[in-house]
Amino acid sequence: MNKQILFIIFLIVLTSLCDTVNQLCLKASINTIDMEVTNLNKAFLLVWKIAFMPLAWVCLICSCLSLTLWLYVLSKAQLSFAYAVDSLHFVLIALASSLILKETVGLKRWLGTLLIMIGIILVSLTG
Amino acid sequence: MTKKGLTLNIFLFLIANIFLETAAQMCFKKTAVSQEGFNIIHHHDIFVFLGHMLSSPFLWLGWLAVLLIFTNWSTILSKIDLSIATPIASLSYVLVTLACLIFLHEHVSLLRWSGIIFILGGVSLVSTSKGDS
Repeated sequence: MNKQILFIIFLIVLTSLCDTVNQLCLKASINTIDMEVTNLNKAFLLVWKIAFMPLAWVCLICSCLSLTLWLYVLSKAQLSFAYAVDSLHFVLIALASSLILKETVGLKRWLGTLLIMIGIILVSLTG
Repeated sequence: MTKKGLTLNIFLFLIANIFLETAAQMCFKKTAVSQEGFNIIHHHDIFVFLGHMLSSPFLWLGWLAVLLIFTNWSTILSKIDLSIATPIASLSYVLVTLACLIFLHEHVSLLRWSGIIFILGGVSLVSTSKGDS
């Protein structure tokens, strides 16, 4: 593998990492808000509350960063290849959920996540 | 607050999220395509370009969709684990493939179908896994 491809893979992994941090911060913010959403008004109230949490702003920065990286990647690599490598982010999210958010990710959930990753690689690479 | 497992309601919310995301992408694509012939030669062309974009109704429709997606996704995350919600969102790959087959009459290869089977299997495993309480 030449350096160019390795660099692109590195950038895609970085994009996945940004997405993971993004989701992690959003979920962590929501976890601190004790609210049961039962209707649309409450859903908008939830979003309003999230907007005032510092972690949610990390979220926004990560989204912008990830979008910028992704657009750069797409200008260099094929979409199918990029999608295949990006499927890694399902594993990253599961890992982060269990390690940082202390969610119980059992064997069944891990297995499911890995199957999805394989499935996405198959779907992406066959265009 | 107790974290419940996946219910049919939340599953429908997740599916709605996938459809909204597809709609948002279509709106942004339509906005971009409407400016296809535009060339940026001078600096002030950038502002003309932005003006054209901002006056496109599809851009605003797209942003509305993004707002709805965020609201919907936040609602979902307030009810279930992140490690359940994210894998199920991968059903978008299945829906896009089906849409290509049904509406665009594209050929779907055997390898791709096997990928779809893998994703469906994974989603069913994740969605029946126990939530913590």
